[in-house]
Amino acid sequence: MESLGMLAEGFQGALTPMNLLWVLVGCLLGTAVGVLPGLGSSMAVALLLPMTFALDPTAAFIMFAGVYFGGLFGDSTMGILMNTPGQGSAIASTFEGHKMALNGRAPQALATAAIGAFIGGMTASIVVVFLAPKLAELSALFGPQEFFALALFAFVATSSVVSDSAIKGLASLVIGLAIATIGIDAMSGVERFTLGAPQIFDGISLVTVTVAILALGEVLQVASRIKRDRDGKQVDASGRPFLKAHELKEAAPAWARGTAIGLPFGVIPVGGSEVPTFMAYDVERRLDRRRHDPQFGKGAIRGLAAPEAAGNATTGTAMGALLALGLPVSSTAAIMLAAFQQYGLQPGPLLFERAPDLVWALLASFFVAMVVLLILNLPFAPLWSKLLLIPKPYLYAGITVFCGLGVYATSGRIFDLLLLLGLSLLGFLMRRYDVPLAPLMIGMVLGPLAESSLRDALLSSGGDWSVLVTGPIPLVLYGVLLIIIALTVRSKVVNRTARDV
Amino acid sequence: MSPSSTNNAPEHSGHPPAVRVPEADGPVAVGEPRTSQTPERSGFMAGRSGLVVPLVLAGISTYLVYGIVTMSVPEDTEFPGPRFYPLLLAVAGYVLALLLVLEIVRKPSPPDESNSLGVYRFHSDWTALAWLVGGFLVFSVGLEFLGWIIAAALLFWCVARGVGSRRPLFDISLALVVSSLIYLAFAVGLGLNLPSGLLGGL
Repeated sequence: MESLGMLAEGFQGALTPMNLLWVLVGCLLGTAVGVLPGLGSSMAVALLLPMTFALDPTAAFIMFAGVYFGGLFGDSTMGILMNTPGQGSAIASTFEGHKMALNGRAPQALATAAIGAFIGGMTASIVVVFLAPKLAELSALFGPQEFFALALFAFVATSSVVSDSAIKGLASLVIGLAIATIGIDAMSGVERFTLGAPQIFDGISLVTVTVAILALGEVLQVASRIKRDRDGKQVDASGRPFLKAHELKEAAPAWARGTAIGLPFGVIPVGGSEVPTFMAYDVERRLDRRRHDPQFGKGAIRGLAAPEAAGNATTGTAMGALLALGLPVSSTAAIMLAAFQQYGLQPGPLLFERAPDLVWALLASFFVAMVVLLILNLPFAPLWSKLLLIPKPYLYAGITVFCGLGVYATSGRIFDLLLLLGLSLLGFLMRRYDVPLAPLMIGMVLGPLAESSLRDALLSSGGDWSVLVTGPIPLVLYGVLLIIIALTVRSKVVNRTARDV
Repeated sequence: MSPSSTNNAPEHSGHPPAVRVPEADGPVAVGEPRTSQTPERSGFMAGRSGLVVPLVLAGISTYLVYGIVTMSVPEDTEFPGPRFYPLLLAVAGYVLALLLVLEIVRKPSPPDESNSLGVYRFHSDWTALAWLVGGFLVFSVGLEFLGWIIAAALLFWCVARGVGSRRPLFDISLALVVSSLIYLAFAVGLGLNLPSGLLGGL
């Protein structure tokens, strides 16, 4: 039980007063941004990414963990009360959750969501503690062709599985990969696509791209529609947010099933927790149909409990995959990877050897964050919805100023501010025409790894392409990829044809 | 991503931005649709403004091709050199752009969804966007001369106005308070290097 000993040390690192404060700050900020309609956890992390300059790595990552999970909690609060999920992963919860709220069971719905998220996240954190070191050992054996297979897996899965249109997903991916090629080529030292501008010899900063695509682009999109779309109506959520015994009994199996569905998806790069939340919802709906009084469509507690647990379970194991393999499976995880790179750390097998203090304190802070979030969200969810009283013009003005501050703070250059503006217009266009953004982020983050491992593999084999499918690990990865694509195509068809209204 | 290919994006989005957009300012304009005029949904571009996406993608591919052609690579570079991988991307970009064009031409997007408060000539509110983009441009270019406090306050004010605030005078004071607080917290508190600009000499 080596892991337990390391985890105990991690708790010692995470439970210092300063680090506890950072967890709390992260949870508060994450929930706050998640609660604001339309804003998701990836925007919270994007806005905070530049702030890392002021913190030491451990404190920064502990805060990020709080923001990451807090955003998920906050997202579902608003999804339930207003039917405005801020992120794809909260959509499945809104179907039954919002109906529960409309039927006057809003406090119960919020409690079901919060407890489900807690169970999913806790279970995932425990799994990560035992699994991540094993994964890290396994990935230490990886050579260039294995890494290329892994990157290709992530690319294809995120861009074709998550988005409605595979072509749009792949287009987004190619844009991200292209941005990542700008700058001096690491292998040959050749200057690429810089037009001789010294500002981009080192490539385009990931911070600038992240803030532009996920934060400022979002503000532009909101502004372009804010006077034209109807405001959502918020359901009153006052009342005791505690579940009765029969409700707990009803929800418990759904929480367990949701967690079980969500856990494996953290290590499978299909673009985050959207797919598992829909799968969990779908499983509950099928089970419900066999009962003599089907609840779905009327605000079924199970239809909310399962996707919430699945979403957070996926998010938890996704962090494990990021730490152990260096593989981000969602755009939020991609930003976390960017944050590691800001500190000169490379997630993956070596991280566990080189920075064990950081890794274990971070894992311990997951547990702390879950408890803090349960406390913040279970009794106080109605209070959070008071955040909607901030006038929208000032809210978005504040976010825009923070985007400018963050990018200027990390780069110190006017050039990056202009780049930020240009890229945010790209982000706006992509949102306007429903082009998914996650593939762009993942392409940008993993592009260099994909290119260098592809070229390494081909150099060592003397240009023989068959090297890419040599060895058991790449073959297994490509096989699993095919299975996943087949399964999602099938489940998409099913989801489209049968959704309870 | 080249600056040139992102910058040309708004120009190609189908329509000139200034025509018949409901006024963003004025006391009653917020949320008030102009229902008197029915937008014409005829012509080839109707519902096909999404063509701007493949255009941007093809632009990026073209930039890659230009970069690959003009790249100075040492003679003795073995396959696969620095040109190889971007070339794959450029080809993929062209193919995807073509597929997107086919998809959009075959299935133009339907008129605005029912959630809308009224019927508009354009899907997007270009006046609001112009306030945001213009404000950010002035902020970026003027930051070092004006200093953080003035430039950020200006940005705050422009965005608030673009998003629909109708209290310009109150906004000015609020904007100055926000930008000053950020200056105090980050420049004085955390030691971040924010330009003091015009106010620096006082």
